[in-house]
Amino acid sequence: MPESPMMIGRVTRCSTRGFVGAMQVSVKEVPVFGSFCQAEAQSGRSHVVGLVYDISITDDHFARQIAALEDVPQEQIADGQINRQVPIEFNALAVGFRDDAGFHQALPPRPPLTLASVFSMAPKDTVDFTSELHFLQTILNAPQLPVDELLATTLRLSAQIRPEGERERFLLQTGREIARLLAQDLTRLENILCGLRSEG
Amino acid sequence: MSDSSELDVFFGSKRDERPLGIVLEGSLSTGLQVKLDPRYAIEKLAVGRYVVIQSRKTGSIFFGIITDIALGATTPDLLHHPPDASDPFLLDVYSGGVAFATLHVSPMLMLDDADDQPRPIKTIPSHFSAIYEATAQDVARVFGEEDEAHFFIGAPLDMEAVQVNLDLERFVERSSGVFGKTGTGKSFITRTILAGIIRSGLASTLIFDMHNDYGWSVMDETGREYKGLRQLFPDGRVSVITLDETTSRARGSKFDGILTIGYEEIEPEDMEMLASLLGLSDIQTGALYFLYQRLGRKWISKLLDEQHEEEIQNMLDSGRIVGGTLGAIRRKLESFIPRMGFLVPGEGSKVVDDIFQRLNIGTSVVLEFGNYGNTLAAYVLVANYLTRRIHASYVHRKNIAAGKKGEEPRPLVIVIEEAHKFLDPSVAGHTIFGNIARELRKYNVTLLIVDQRPSGIEDEVMSQIGTRVTCLLDNEADIRAVFSGVSGASTLREVLARLDTRQQALILGHAVPMPVVVRTRDYDQRFYAAIGMDESDDASGAKPPAEDKLFPD
Repeated sequence: MPESPMMIGRVTRCSTRGFVGAMQVSVKEVPVFGSFCQAEAQSGRSHVVGLVYDISITDDHFARQIAALEDVPQEQIADGQINRQVPIEFNALAVGFRDDAGFHQALPPRPPLTLASVFSMAPKDTVDFTSELHFLQTILNAPQLPVDELLATTLRLSAQIRPEGERERFLLQTGREIARLLAQDLTRLENILCGLRSEG
Repeated sequence: MSDSSELDVFFGSKRDERPLGIVLEGSLSTGLQVKLDPRYAIEKLAVGRYVVIQSRKTGSIFFGIITDIALGATTPDLLHHPPDASDPFLLDVYSGGVAFATLHVSPMLMLDDADDQPRPIKTIPSHFSAIYEATAQDVARVFGEEDEAHFFIGAPLDMEAVQVNLDLERFVERSSGVFGKTGTGKSFITRTILAGIIRSGLASTLIFDMHNDYGWSVMDETGREYKGLRQLFPDGRVSVITLDETTSRARGSKFDGILTIGYEEIEPEDMEMLASLLGLSDIQTGALYFLYQRLGRKWISKLLDEQHEEEIQNMLDSGRIVGGTLGAIRRKLESFIPRMGFLVPGEGSKVVDDIFQRLNIGTSVVLEFGNYGNTLAAYVLVANYLTRRIHASYVHRKNIAAGKKGEEPRPLVIVIEEAHKFLDPSVAGHTIFGNIARELRKYNVTLLIVDQRPSGIEDEVMSQIGTRVTCLLDNEADIRAVFSGVSGASTLREVLARLDTRQQALILGHAVPMPVVVRTRDYDQRFYAAIGMDESDDASGAKPPAEDKLFPD
C-alpha cells in the first residue's frame, strides 16, 4: 500500500450510503477488496471515507468477440486489458467522513459529486480511522453485502499496516468489539474471528 | 464533587486506577451485580474482600464486601457452542466479551457529602457506577483507630497492615456470641476478646471455663504454650476460682479460691436444667419442687442419706408422690451428686457474694472446672447455680440504684461454653440464660456465648445476639442460625462457608460498622505486650493478686 494517497478513479454514482468509482487499469494500484478510500465532497472541504466491497469489470463488444476466437495474440489480450472501452468499477460503502476536525465514524452529511476524485487511503490515515471501532456496526448493518468477509478482510488489512507489536492487540480489541455486537450469533462470530487471522 | 469535599477528606482523593468493574443491577436487599473488567483476573479476587463503589451520578461512596463470584455469558448458546479451547486468540476474544465474570457485592456503608462518618446504606449506587478494590486506607478509615474502647481484633484478609477494631462498649452492651466448628479457634478468639474487655475495664467478666482454656496457660495441639488471662493480668484484675483443686494443682495453675457448693444451697431450679442430662422426666422434675418444699433446705442430704428414711416414708404415705418417682429421683441424684467433689454436704464455700463483690470492683473471674469440665451436667449445674444468684444480686443492686440509694452495678459479661445446652429451645424460655439474653443490658448483665452448634440455640435468643464472631461453620442449619435476625447478612453465607479452618472469623453486628472477615491477631508475645503485660511480671503468678484475701483457701 502506497504511503501517500493516490488517485484511483472518479465517482460515477453515489448516495449518502456509498459511491461507485470508475478507473482505468493503467492506474498502478487497483483498490483491493476491504481497503479504505476517500472521495472528495463539498468542493474539497470534506472527504467521504469508503470501504471497497465490490470490484467489477463489465464486458464490451470487442472483448466478447475476441473471447470467441480460438487463438488470441498476446498483443490483443494486453490491448483488451489495458485500453479498455469500459472502465473498471468499484463499489464503496460510506463508513465515515473527514473534515477539518478529523475523521468521523458516521454517514457523511453530503455525498461526493459525480466525477469527484477518489483516492486510496494512506496507511497513517487508515490507522487513525480504525483507532475507533464504531464503523464496525455500519458494516454489520449494510444490507446485501458480503459483510462477514468484508469485516474480516478490512480488519486484517488494518492490522497489517500497524507496527508488529500492535497487531495482536488491535485484533483482540476488534475481535472483542465484534463479539459484543454479535454476541447472539456465535456461529457467525466464530466465522469472522477465524477470518480475522487467516493470511490474506 | 469538589477536590476539597468531605468524601475526599475521608476516602482520599478521587481514584485514578482502573475500576474492577461496573454495577449492572441489584437491589438493597439482595446486593449488587457487578461485571468484572476483562482486564482483571477473576482468580485474583476472593469473597470477603472489600470494595468501594463510587456513584456515577452523585459521587457518593459506598463501601461493600464481595460475597460471591460467578462466571456468566451473554448468551446461553455459549454452553453448546464454546470456542476452540486450543485457540488462544478465540479464548481471549470471548473472555470479557461474550463470556465474563460477575461479582456479587453487598453494599454495607455509605458516605456522602453531608456525612463525616459512614452510615448504614439506605440506597444503592446507580447503574454503571465504577467499583474499585478498597485500599488499606479505605478499610482503616471504616474501622477507625484503636483506643481505650476499640480493641484490635485482627486484620482483614490480604490487608495485614489494617486493624479491625471491635467497639467494646457496644460489644458488652448486648449479648454476643463466638461460633465455629470444633478446632477453628473459638477459644483463642474468645480469650483475645476477653483480654480486650478486661484491659478496657468496660465490664467485668465471669467465665465458666469448661476446658481450662482461659485462666491459666493452655497448650495448643502442637504443644506450644499460651498464657491465660490470669497471667496476662498479674495485677489482680483476673481471679481464678477452681472447682477441681487437684487438677488445677497438677496443671500448675495458680488459683485464688476453691468453689464448693453445699447440698443445702442447691435449689430445685438449679437442678431443673439438668433434667435432660440426668434423664429426669417432666414428672420427676416437677417432683423436685415438692421434695424441696417438704424436706427443706437439706432435701438433697435427706434423699441421699438413708438415716432419713422415716421422713421419706411419711412423705410417700401422704400419697403426694409415688414410690417409683421418688426412687428414680434418688437413683439419679445418687449417680451424680456424690461423684461431684465440689458438691459437699452442708454449706459450701459461700463464694457467691465474694464473686459478686469481686466482679463489682472490676475483677474478672475465671471459674476453672478442671476434670469436671468433662461432665456436662457439672458444668450446667454450676453455671446455672452461680448465674442465677449473681444475676439476682445484679437485679437487686440495679433496683437500689434505680431508687437512687446506691451505685449502678458494674457491667458484667458472663461467658458460657456449650451454650446450646443452656439456650436450647426447650429450656431457653424459662432459664436464667434465656432471660439474660432477652433482657439485653437492663440489669447490666450480658452473655458471651461460645458454641459450635448455634442451630441448637433458640431463635429468639439468637436474634438478640448483638455481635457475632463466627469461625468456620459448614453445617447449613448452623450457618442459617448465625445469620438469623441480621438483615441482609444472608449474602454473607458464602463468605462464612469459605473461611479457613484456623484464625479466620467473620465478625458482624453491633460492635463493627460492617461485617468483616478477619485474620485474628496472633496470640503471642506481641499480643501480651500490647495488652500491657510486662515481661518481667512472673508468669508463674508469684505476685499475689491484690484481692487475694477475698478467697481464703
